[in-house]
Amino acid sequence: MKRRDFFKTSIAASAAVLSSTSLAAGETHQPNETRKVSKYAFPEKRPLITYSDRPPLLETPLSVFTEEFTPNDQFFVRWHLPDIPTHIDPDTYTIHINGMVQRELKISLKDLKNDFEQVEVNAVVQCGGNSRSAFTPIPGGIQWGSGAMGCARWKGVRLKDILDKAGLIEGAKWIGFNGREKAAYYKTPNFVRELELDELDDHVIVAYEMNGEDLPYLNGYPLRLVLPGYYSDSWVKMLSNITVTDKYKSLFFMDKAYRVPDNECECETPEKLAKKTKPITIMNVKSVIGYPENGAKIYHNSEVVVRGVAWDGGYGIHKVMISLDDGKTWDEAQLKEDLGRYAYRSFRFGFKPKKYGKLHIMAKAVNSLGEEQPFSKDIGWNRGGYKYNGIQVVNVEVV
Amino acid sequence: MMKKIILLTALSISALFAQVKSSVEVPYIPFEIKMGKGFSTVQADCLMCHSFGYIINQGPQSRKFWRGKVDKMIEEFKAPIDKKDAKIIENYLFENYGNGKEQ
Ligand code: HEC
Repeated sequence: MKRRDFFKTSIAASAAVLSSTSLAAGETHQPNETRKVSKYAFPEKRPLITYSDRPPLLETPLSVFTEEFTPNDQFFVRWHLPDIPTHIDPDTYTIHINGMVQRELKISLKDLKNDFEQVEVNAVVQCGGNSRSAFTPIPGGIQWGSGAMGCARWKGVRLKDILDKAGLIEGAKWIGFNGREKAAYYKTPNFVRELELDELDDHVIVAYEMNGEDLPYLNGYPLRLVLPGYYSDSWVKMLSNITVTDKYKSLFFMDKAYRVPDNECECETPEKLAKKTKPITIMNVKSVIGYPENGAKIYHNSEVVVRGVAWDGGYGIHKVMISLDDGKTWDEAQLKEDLGRYAYRSFRFGFKPKKYGKLHIMAKAVNSLGEEQPFSKDIGWNRGGYKYNGIQVVNVEVV
Repeated sequence: MMKKIILLTALSISALFAQVKSSVEVPYIPFEIKMGKGFSTVQADCLMCHSFGYIINQGPQSRKFWRGKVDKMIEEFKAPIDKKDAKIIENYLFENYGNGKEQ
């Protein structure tokens, strides 16, 4: 074993211990992808990696990420608050539009499906804290591996069309989104999202369907906001209320959560936290390898096809590069069909392993702006553990 | 027109579970949390808003880390926990999910 390899494995093995000992930010490493699916299945889901039942927090295993679309029954689940209605009547469900509008609206599901133009968008939804377990010391929050994400074909109605119907009043600037998830304690801040109207474009939809089916209960049935290119914190589930205002309301989940340092590297150290922060908003360029998996044995001289997915915040994937020699040389993977700039671009790379023993497979995505994924070790720390997009390393053995 | 017709049929067949008259049941997961001194306080104070999964998932951490989490629950999320309980919980967490370091 090379010295570097040794360090890599020992860091991975003792990540939790190392992480909190020193105050200085430690080197960012590969996220923890060793967790197994639970033996319990949640409603409409297969067994997934399970962090919590109340509220439900479920992660998709990496091996699922070889195709453009993530199946609904394997799609990750992330709620913040425990009080989620367990019964929804689609015949009486309505969404309210109020605030600085000319006409307050209450729209039923049926009206939404009949009175508006129906549109579809293929888009990735990813938790801002996806891969958080890569950071040292551990930042606040769930220590996700890289499966807090998925890509689906979303169907619904343009937010703009709904707002047009309500008619914005001059001076309208902010728009708040409320879902039905509620805190267990009346003083705990509720999970409300606010976006600036300028940020919203025609791709933002209120969706009722995902991959050709009703939204699964745990993914926000019957309606959720779809904000292509944005991290999932703003994709409000069980959407019940849209409120237009001229002022930004100060709220915990807006002011303290889902923010990164407002500097070039978006990084800081635990002893010197950045004073200014900004919302995480648009996703950075990233890819994951779905096959092979860490620890796999592959045959010498056999035809191996590496498969995975790459995406970014909507500029589009330009290429995916594969390295089999620890990043010294890179070869271009084949990209499959382009399903839109917000969707996963799946890639594959065939090769025949010629050397026995350990092999590290790396994938690096480059977007159309020329932005590419950094190595893990070059990613600076931030207190929330957001926006990790390091080059993935899959360790296999050629036998 | 075509689109609407497809939609309406899709509507009637795609209805799965969330909308049936009975409610959806989310399974209860018995997270294996360690028993120890102060556990009853943890049970009384830390299960109101989320499962023990949140605690276990953090892995072994320093006393300072755990104190910080308890403070965060009280300050940011308004957990109704008094000073005495907070200290008991901090000790429990550090004893059972600690890494031996104070800082
Ligand atoms: C009043 C509600 C409430 C109570 C009581 C509460 N928590 Fe939390 N806790 C939260 C919320 C809200 C979150 C964030 C949830 C999310 O984003 O998924 C959280 C998150 C956490 C996390 C994840 C790490 C982080 O920084 O987000 C840990 C660990 C945690 N709580 C531990 C505890 C412990 C220990 C107790 C008992 C002292 C406790 N909680 C009691 C509301 C509460």
